[in-house]
Amino acid sequence: MTRRDVFQAIADPVRRDIITLLAKETLTVNSVADKFDVSRPAISKHLKILEECGLIKIQKKGRERYCRIEPKSLIPAFLWVDQYRSLWEQKLDSFEDYLNEIQTRRSSGKAKPQKP
Amino acid sequence: MSTLEEAANRTLTIERTFNAPIALVWEVWTQGTHIAQWWAPKGMKVDILEQDFTVGGKWKYSMRMPDGSPFISEGTYLEIVEQEKIVTTADFKPMTQGVELHILFNEDGNKTGFTFHCIHASEEYCRQQEKMGFYNGWGSAFDRLANLLDSQK
Repeated sequence: MTRRDVFQAIADPVRRDIITLLAKETLTVNSVADKFDVSRPAISKHLKILEECGLIKIQKKGRERYCRIEPKSLIPAFLWVDQYRSLWEQKLDSFEDYLNEIQTRRSSGKAKPQKP
Repeated sequence: MSTLEEAANRTLTIERTFNAPIALVWEVWTQGTHIAQWWAPKGMKVDILEQDFTVGGKWKYSMRMPDGSPFISEGTYLEIVEQEKIVTTADFKPMTQGVELHILFNEDGNKTGFTFHCIHASEEYCRQQEKMGFYNGWGSAFDRLANLLDSQK
């Protein structure tokens, strides 16, 4: 079965652009399609996938269909990147601190590493 | 790379420039006695159980958590190009397993350009997220979410 989750939703560059657009404002299906060089049926298909993945809601108002983002659905993607970024940023900070420390120590003539 | 791009291909990229010559950066990144000094967050002790810096060689570090339980990080070096590139598998038990690190070093006079890629196996990631639950204790993600919501008003 095809996966229908946030990662499937953002796996395609056009869909990522659509999400970025819709994060700024609610747009009609037609106005989304107007912003891309991709064919209308292709945009419709992307929007359908985004809807199935729970990323957007499509609501009919009169003749127009409006696409609205569901920001909550993006949480898993943010969590994934954030969690690991902060872990590695901290490690690299620590690496950099130690690197600076050992450089200072060596230039001041003490060759042996010491504990801070 | 944008957050969405990163999440999509599950590669985390961090770039830095270190204010030290490449020989020293390489030494500090690869030698056990140095790693023991920077691997763990401040105030925590790390034991270097293995550090066989050769292709196919294993590394294994153990950190003592505040509750006394050990936190093991380990992996196998897949590729080593002297003062240029390191590729290694990495498991952080029990938190995350099956990632691959690609670490690139680039000489820039007395400085060193540094690029770090952490590539996550998707299946593993999904299983793990199911176990942990999405909504537990990730403050900054919610801050960003709040911003996203605000920007929609």
